[in-house]
Amino acid sequence: MSRNLWFGMLVVVLVCALSTTGCRRKPKTAASGADNIGGLSGQSSELGLSSRLPGEMDVRSEKFASALFDYDSAQVKESERAKIDAVADFLKKNSRTGVLVEGNCDERGSAEYNMSLGERRALAVRAYLVGLGIDGAIVQTKSNGKEKPVDMGHDEAAWSLNRRADFVLFNQ
Amino acid sequence: MKRWGWISALVFFSVLSAAPAQVRVTKSMNEVSSLDISQFVGKSAGAPALFRQTLEADLKASGWFNLAAGGRAEYSLLGEAAMDGDGLAVRCEAYNVAGREKLLGKTYKTTGREVRRLAHKAADDIVLAITGKKGMAGTRILLIGNRTGKKEVYLCDADGQNLRQLTHDNTISMAPKWAPDGGRFVYTSFRSRFPDVYLVNLATGNRNCIANYPGLNSSAAFSPDGGEVALILSKDGNPDLYIKDLDGGALTRLTSTRRAAEASPSWSPDGRQIVFVSDSSGTPQLYVMNRSGGEPKRLTSRGSQNVDPDWGANGYIVYCSFIGRIYQIFVMNPATLEFKQVTREDANYEDPSWAPDGRHIVCTRTSNYRSRIFVIDTQGGSLIPLLPDSEKGDWVAPSWSQQ
Repeated sequence: MSRNLWFGMLVVVLVCALSTTGCRRKPKTAASGADNIGGLSGQSSELGLSSRLPGEMDVRSEKFASALFDYDSAQVKESERAKIDAVADFLKKNSRTGVLVEGNCDERGSAEYNMSLGERRALAVRAYLVGLGIDGAIVQTKSNGKEKPVDMGHDEAAWSLNRRADFVLFNQ
Repeated sequence: MKRWGWISALVFFSVLSAAPAQVRVTKSMNEVSSLDISQFVGKSAGAPALFRQTLEADLKASGWFNLAAGGRAEYSLLGEAAMDGDGLAVRCEAYNVAGREKLLGKTYKTTGREVRRLAHKAADDIVLAITGKKGMAGTRILLIGNRTGKKEVYLCDADGQNLRQLTHDNTISMAPKWAPDGGRFVYTSFRSRFPDVYLVNLATGNRNCIANYPGLNSSAAFSPDGGEVALILSKDGNPDLYIKDLDGGALTRLTSTRRAAEASPSWSPDGRQIVFVSDSSGTPQLYVMNRSGGEPKRLTSRGSQNVDPDWGANGYIVYCSFIGRIYQIFVMNPATLEFKQVTREDANYEDPSWAPDGRHIVCTRTSNYRSRIFVIDTQGGSLIPLLPDSEKGDWVAPSWSQQ
């Protein structure tokens, strides 16, 4: 009986250790999980959007680097994960802070299709943040389609900067 | 609601008498008929001259006629436009010369400044009487312009005249699409900061938000009976195709593509099917599905992107295909999947929309990084700018009214 009890406690300790590792101490473990959630090859990103932000947001001053995407892709690239990790770390340290993820596209192609593609980019970043342990309720998405380029150029150098997800942090 | 800075156009003309002209199709699709308009008089300065000049331009733009002066024209137009008090009185007769047959006999009257609109009405009557086809002269085009520094919705006549700014949202406006009645339209605006879909009544200027769910609300398109819109929403976690009932507000979800984005729905003429864009194959392509649900069927196989479909009343789908390094306009028969390219590869052509005549399209042409609107005759091949080059800025996303 005591042998069983000890075994049971060992299991509990192991489970706790694993879940803590997964959610907090080593974000990289969670990151490989989030890759599946957000990407074109991944699992469902169907996390229903709960509510709409008011038009007037109490925007915070902190700036975060935009996550960039490949042409016609909404997959979170490995090279961009650290940028999203930084946003997640900030959100964890600052309760009552939310983030609006704005998906953007380059100037080429259908304006309407780019609205949908931009939303998928924002949703992929949202899914990645949720995979890092962020509450989905504080992550809002918005697509700007191809309407808000940061670089007005007409070449790949400009396009690669415009295929992006921007982070706007706000006080809830 | 923000006050609209424009007044809806009202038509003041009235048809005094209308001898019912028998409609007969005397020509096959691609033939051009010769029409002699030299016997139609409207030379006095002012309204009569403007009427005749507008009528002639409309008949030429219709694509059906070669306007021969005298000689052996197949058809002839007789009549007169003259001042009548403050207004204009018009008599208009169209004949089949060889058969000595009267195809049209009408008189029109207008007061005020609706001379151009009256000429458009007469031109459409003449086209219908001679060819049996619906005209386009009296219709209008919605488009997006950015000359104020922001993208706003504009409206003009089918010949590019009477351009006026409809929205003053001072933000991004996108994708205006007509209701089948030609009196209302839907568009996407960022005026709430987020992309939402609005319905505008042109006569009253009333605007209602019809979709402001969390996430994306865009690409709305009216059903042929005007009772529903198909649109793209992401409220359930991914951009998918939905139908919203405009009376009760009920939503029906049509696609559940977890790994793909949908866009740009357009209804079949009978309202039973919807063509739309989906990138579920990895690139954006055209699919068709029943309004009642079921499996989408892929329509396009050539081109790395096929986008912006518009299903015309003629049964054909006009769309934009990325071939090589350039966007071009194609027309497809969805029953046979046969298609033909309608633009020459001298620029990027996008955003096509059918005219109600089933023959012309209006689209965006982008050259040297400037976008302008052009009208293309898919049968005759002509390419005509809608607005003069002096209209500054970029013009995109045209939508041609069906009334």
